[in-house]
Amino acid sequence: MKKNLLVCFILCSALITESWAQGRTVSGKIVSQDDGEGLPGVNVVLKGTTSGTVSDIDGMYKIDVETEDAVLLFSSIGFLSQERIVGTKSVIDLEMAADVQQLSEVVVTAIGIEREARELGYAISGVKAADLVVARETNIINSLQGKVTGVSITQSSGNLGGSTKITVRGVSSLSGRNNPLWVVDGVPINNQQNQGGDANRITGNRDFANGAAIINPDDVESINVLKGASATALYGSRAAAGVIVVTTKRGKAGPGGGPSVSINSSVRFDNIFKSPDYQNQYAGGDFMKYDSSATSQNFGPRIVGQPVNKSITHDPVALQAFPGNEDDFYETGTTLINNFAISDADERSDYRLSLTSLNQTGILPGAQLDRLTASFNAGFKHSDKLKSRFTAQYIRTVSEGTGVAGANDPNIIGPAFFVRTTDFRDYLPWIDESGNQINTVTNDDNNPYWIQNENKNDREDDRFLGNFELTFTPIENLNITSRVGYDFDVDERLITNRVGTRQVLTGDFENAVIQRRQLNIDILGHYQLKLTDDLDLSILGGWNFNRRVFSREVIASTDQSIPELFLPSNSLVSNPDRDFSEQKLFGAYGEAVLSYRDWLTLTLTGRNDWSSTLPLGSNSYFYPSISAAWVFTDALGISGNFLSYGKLRASWAQVGNDAGPYLLDFTFLPRTVASGQYGLDLSFPYDGRLGFRKTNTIPNQELIPEEQTTIEFGLDLQLWDGRVGLDIAYFNSKNKNQILQTPIPESTGFGFRTLNVGQVSQEGIEIALDADIIDAGDFRWNAIVNFSHVESTVDELIEGTERIVIASAFSSVQLVAVPGKEFQLFGFDYQRDEATGRPLIDPTNGRRIPGEAKTFGSVFPDYTMGLINTFLLL
Amino acid sequence: MKKLLIYMLSAVLVIAPMSCEDALDVNTDPLAATTADPSAVLPFVFVQYGARKTTELGTRTLDVTQFISNTFNSPKRGNTSIFLTGNTWGMYYTLVLGNLLLLKNDAVEAGPTSNNIAAVATIMQALSFYELASIWDDVPFTQALNGKDFEFPEFDSQETVFKGSVALLDEAMALIDAMPEEGNFNLVTGDLIYGGDMDNWARFANSLKLRILMLIRNRDTSVDGAISATLGQPLIETNSQAALFRYPGTPGQINGWKDIIQSFFAPTNELAELFGPSPVFRDLLVNNNDPRVDVLFFDPTGTGVYTAPEYGSFPVAGEALINDNALRADMPNIWFLPSEVSFYRSELALLGVVADDANARFEDGVRQHSMFWGGVGPGSIPGAEIRLDADDIEAFIASLPDLGGLSDADALNQLYEQMYVEAFMRSVYAWNHVRRTGVPDLQPPPGASISTILKRFDYPPDEVGANPNTPSNLTTDTPVWFEKP
Repeated sequence: MKKNLLVCFILCSALITESWAQGRTVSGKIVSQDDGEGLPGVNVVLKGTTSGTVSDIDGMYKIDVETEDAVLLFSSIGFLSQERIVGTKSVIDLEMAADVQQLSEVVVTAIGIEREARELGYAISGVKAADLVVARETNIINSLQGKVTGVSITQSSGNLGGSTKITVRGVSSLSGRNNPLWVVDGVPINNQQNQGGDANRITGNRDFANGAAIINPDDVESINVLKGASATALYGSRAAAGVIVVTTKRGKAGPGGGPSVSINSSVRFDNIFKSPDYQNQYAGGDFMKYDSSATSQNFGPRIVGQPVNKSITHDPVALQAFPGNEDDFYETGTTLINNFAISDADERSDYRLSLTSLNQTGILPGAQLDRLTASFNAGFKHSDKLKSRFTAQYIRTVSEGTGVAGANDPNIIGPAFFVRTTDFRDYLPWIDESGNQINTVTNDDNNPYWIQNENKNDREDDRFLGNFELTFTPIENLNITSRVGYDFDVDERLITNRVGTRQVLTGDFENAVIQRRQLNIDILGHYQLKLTDDLDLSILGGWNFNRRVFSREVIASTDQSIPELFLPSNSLVSNPDRDFSEQKLFGAYGEAVLSYRDWLTLTLTGRNDWSSTLPLGSNSYFYPSISAAWVFTDALGISGNFLSYGKLRASWAQVGNDAGPYLLDFTFLPRTVASGQYGLDLSFPYDGRLGFRKTNTIPNQELIPEEQTTIEFGLDLQLWDGRVGLDIAYFNSKNKNQILQTPIPESTGFGFRTLNVGQVSQEGIEIALDADIIDAGDFRWNAIVNFSHVESTVDELIEGTERIVIASAFSSVQLVAVPGKEFQLFGFDYQRDEATGRPLIDPTNGRRIPGEAKTFGSVFPDYTMGLINTFLLL
Repeated sequence: MKKLLIYMLSAVLVIAPMSCEDALDVNTDPLAATTADPSAVLPFVFVQYGARKTTELGTRTLDVTQFISNTFNSPKRGNTSIFLTGNTWGMYYTLVLGNLLLLKNDAVEAGPTSNNIAAVATIMQALSFYELASIWDDVPFTQALNGKDFEFPEFDSQETVFKGSVALLDEAMALIDAMPEEGNFNLVTGDLIYGGDMDNWARFANSLKLRILMLIRNRDTSVDGAISATLGQPLIETNSQAALFRYPGTPGQINGWKDIIQSFFAPTNELAELFGPSPVFRDLLVNNNDPRVDVLFFDPTGTGVYTAPEYGSFPVAGEALINDNALRADMPNIWFLPSEVSFYRSELALLGVVADDANARFEDGVRQHSMFWGGVGPGSIPGAEIRLDADDIEAFIASLPDLGGLSDADALNQLYEQMYVEAFMRSVYAWNHVRRTGVPDLQPPPGASISTILKRFDYPPDEVGANPNTPSNLTTDTPVWFEKP
């Protein structure tokens, strides 16, 4: 891996002009101390001059020297530099040792800028390619679990192709806009998720993946998580939730020169991890009476083998429980991933072409996901002054059988799942020859196999990510880069209920075509300047344009004549509908990095954003940051085995969180339906009339962006020659002017009001410990411990408001913001005995007595921790 | 080439930010309107109100009032679910009242030629507030729908809301009276109830006023004068003047109760064997040999016994069902029938508030209601599949004891029983009737957590969470204000 990095550095670093002079020639081979392989790209310079050369692909070099007292200086990023006096030698071979402190420490930061980690005044956590393809996940976000401090990853379900939520350093926004910005090869991509259906997750929702799930781990070189505001400040109004920077793999030559080919296959199996701990003593029924048609109550008699008619089949049997009956329903999921990649590189160009196929079946019967990823990455050096790079990725995902998420939709997880006397094998078969649903518990519930096999939840997603970059170097140390990126997503869904599905007996379907398009243009100039021998200045200035468009066209049809023919013309009722939104952002940004003697670095950044979603005329906002890094081991001349590297860092930054589109105007919305119970809506036009209603949210014409101010301190230590690394960060961040659709009393005639209100703060500490516990030549044991503790506290809400509902679940459970506390779980408790805390029982009916609503504590974990052990047998 | 590139890059850097403001002017939703067209907003209000009144609020209170033996997620055992309360509250306040207020404000601003819009909006406001208070007792009224001045509306007593609703109805009638001769806004499209006929709206407004005054009168007889005055105004006197929200009966536009049956179970209730009459309702019709049995019930045994399912349970095989005539796709949502006016006249005569022939008005009511369900011609219920013979209706009326020959208590009881029958399929009104009169004597079902029938809903958690002025929930068997203490 170190070698991979090295090749990368060669491609990135400026080449030193070769020069020829009179004298003799010294040659040799430079090899890596690690593996004895030739090291290409090592700079070999005659000390005190600018004459030098670079080692070739095998590590061979040749250099002319004039005098015997000449000294050769060998240097390469990631390795400890060495000097050799030429003397009378004509061959100087060299072993170079990795600079543990430095290696892996060039990181890709905001706007795709590579910087040395020692210069950074803020925390960045990275995951490298090798770590992403071990125990593969189909959603790349899951691969970050436990590997990055301060990052919380929540997989929404075991649903095939389901979404995963990632938050960085806790929750900063009350409005739920806590998704970090994803940037691939310097270009933002969408990580949106469109569940479909209604906002309350009751009808029509499906957990289809989040946008970043399509990133193919096989094509990723590294993932860096920019956590604090200083790290993300160059993204201005899109920076508040953190940024995840993904760099894709570039072409490399094979070990002997020429193209390299890699083929990679992996297989994985999934099983249901855990099901609820059901009771198995009492039968389905009510009032102690057995009921073969019970679908939710287990208030039947104690099961003692009494003769009854079996549920579903109605056969006479001795009553018995079927512990784990629902487990029979689930299957073993398999995942196959095959990757083929070919790549090559020479001095002028590199390319990498990769094809990945992912074929997965889920734990639900019939659940299947197939993904094909084709990616191409090529770079050309047209001349000393002009380079270009082109990357393209096409990702096609086809899935079927995703589980139904809306509770008002016909769903496999019906109440029947809770009745212990149901034998799930009796559900088979689920359909007869005439296409009727059979083997159900009652005439109004569904057979779960019918739901899973006859009703479609299909998705076809075509995603294209393209990126073109041109770098022009008109004079030494000045680079002008223009980068155009495009993210195009067409997501087509077909969700159906076959004729005969209880609750939708006459059948329905919804065909939605969702498009997301994002264009991003950056033009930036980067100039490096040596002010004095000790003082370096690097200046960057850039301009950004970003446009995001969302559109959705949907046809919802009910009452099919011919089953399984999903056409509006085969349906008695069809409601077509459209959604559209567009937002644009202009940004101008700059960065100045001042370094003193390589151990003190001061970085200043500023970005001004102009956003279309804010009121015209007051849509311009400035986001500054300042950070400092002090490598005190170098500054104070500390050296030795114990403390080999130490850095202190500090930063302050202000970033924003932009508003969504169309929050400013009061509108009347055309409706296709008037909502009824169980999703049984009346549709418009109704008796020839259209239906318009007002928005349920009072808009805000003076909206301003959310503002986040962060202070961060950090300590980075490497001990015992780098065998132990310790990174500690403390941060404190205040997020004010939260853009919130504040729930207001519905008795005002509106449900919400868009406001800039309240403040949420996060204070936290992150500790990352990395230790080579055993390094015994052919056996290595490396352990990484990540620990983070974040307190996301609601500092204030609107005056006079005790709490704000952030989300409300299907039962009366809510997630609320209460001043002075972390986000709280809120719900109705039972009345309890003060002494014992046990629920009071109503003597008239034996039931628990409902009590008042209250908060039940924070919904966030006290801390998150990851422990990763790597054992390497060489 | 290189120079060209420099020039291009410089040009982009210079020009791009200059075009910012124009390019950023994209924040107007292209798929929404900024003004309200009454011909599109009024239909939304009617249809949305009709949707929830028929399904959720409609069906779930049908077994509270014991017209049917059981339904899904019913609050009859004392627990009003957050969906029932939340959806109902949100329907009234945001979807109905919120839109009506904007319509009304625009209409008032437009002047007298839009008085008809303002009047319809005001009558619908009165209907909504009266029903809100009927369901929850204390609800926001004086401070409602004015978030600018009252961020957290205070809750008014049911008495205040009822009296305020009466005032709204007076306001609406004044608007109708002040309508110019011509040039009025054309409400044919927007008005799904009367097609823009403001005389009928005035009748509905007066009749609704009478209904609310009758509730107030239960606690406060000082409204007797107002009641007498209202009886002299145009009221809903014939079935052709009835206030109905009609369902065309075509797919997507059908009665929601019927939709539940055909979407979940089977094409019709008789096939699904799902909803059956409660013993109370069954006994009132079957034991009286009421001909309306034919238009309302189905006896799968064909014996005419009509065995009622146990209250709290769905019918088992052989038990009586609500028939497919009553539970059909174009069965309207009933807001007001002339029979209700006739019964009030009878009741007020029995109580001595007004001078009238109590028995004649009683018979009018039974006749009007029977003709509504089973008659032929104008004023009968749309789409009826089963008709009643006028002679049978008259024979039934003749078989009922003359109110004049009964004690006051028995006369009132007989009247109230017929009023109960008349309230079938009329969720809030029916619930008000049984709480106002106590007839029939209804008991809670087995397993109830309350000691009486349901008397009120809990407040919805969204309002509780957002409005600190929301009162604490009383137990759901606590009587509302209009019930006699």
